[in-house]
Amino acid sequence: MVFLSLSCWIRSRGPDRYWKVQDIVKNAKHFRGRKNRCYKLAVKAVRRAFVYATKGRRLKKRYMRTLWISRIAAASREHGMKYPVLMHNLTKSSVQLNRHVISNLAITEPRSFLSLAKVARARQQEGFRAALGDGKEPVGVFSRVVLLQ
Amino acid sequence: MALCRGAGLLLRTLLPGNPLLFPAACRTQSSVSGVLVPRTSLTSPPWPEQLPPVCEAEDARRQAAVVSTVNGSIERQDYGRLFAVVHFASRQWKVTGEDLILIENHLEAGCGETIRMEKVLLVGAEDFTLVGRPLLGRDLVRVEATVIEKTESWPKVHMRFWKRHRYQRKMIIVQPQTVLRINSIELAPRLS
Repeated sequence: MVFLSLSCWIRSRGPDRYWKVQDIVKNAKHFRGRKNRCYKLAVKAVRRAFVYATKGRRLKKRYMRTLWISRIAAASREHGMKYPVLMHNLTKSSVQLNRHVISNLAITEPRSFLSLAKVARARQQEGFRAALGDGKEPVGVFSRVVLLQ
Repeated sequence: MALCRGAGLLLRTLLPGNPLLFPAACRTQSSVSGVLVPRTSLTSPPWPEQLPPVCEAEDARRQAAVVSTVNGSIERQDYGRLFAVVHFASRQWKVTGEDLILIENHLEAGCGETIRMEKVLLVGAEDFTLVGRPLLGRDLVRVEATVIEKTESWPKVHMRFWKRHRYQRKMIIVQPQTVLRINSIELAPRLS
């Protein structure tokens, strides 16, 4: 006697549930509490973790730039200059080093950073000299400066 | 005056018009005498009043001395280790000999081939630095590198999720990577 309809009642309800669950739970193995074991809690935690990682990759670039800027500001103040003065004068002298490299130099190559600070200082003095000139008004202009002289 | 004679020494500073009253005082206009105004950050312009005088002959002599010292040092090759700042793959790298660099994209060179990095922004040794404006000459510096490895990055997950909107997208990003080894940085003995 052969029961032919017996095999029709046995169905496979998805043979790979274990691996689908493990795909998600393996990303949560270093979490705290039941969310590193239980699928329902792990799904939510893993989703948040991935979203935070994606957002963090964009924020990291901003934080790194802020860090570089504060390091360069501190190093330039050691040499008696301020950060905006240093960067503006370096740009005007067409030195196109970025903040990453300048902060690196300030940490590992202090003498090179000093030379950059001197370049910026010289360019600043040149700018002042060009702007102030003699301290006299041009001929034919009648103003307070002329009155006081 | 008669009231404060007993403590004359202490109260002398309260006399009006005394210059000790506001030690850092100045007048609003040098033509008007009388009213003194305390010195603030906006009293005088932020640039120095008297710039140090420029002596062009002195400057030229100093520059010639520096250039000849550096030239001599380069010719004798007695600098130690050189470092260079190189612009490569849209990033700037501070690089020395025997350095490894990981670049997050694909290079056309095959493994084991030598590459010359041409955009050099700065070269430094222990005693001197050559700053390019913005680049140093091609015949002044030579930076050579070898391609060691060409792989892919670990699979990064890019996930977007809006709560209460039934929206989530997950993408796996795998980027090609290249590893370069900097072989050498060479300086040519020519400066002006």
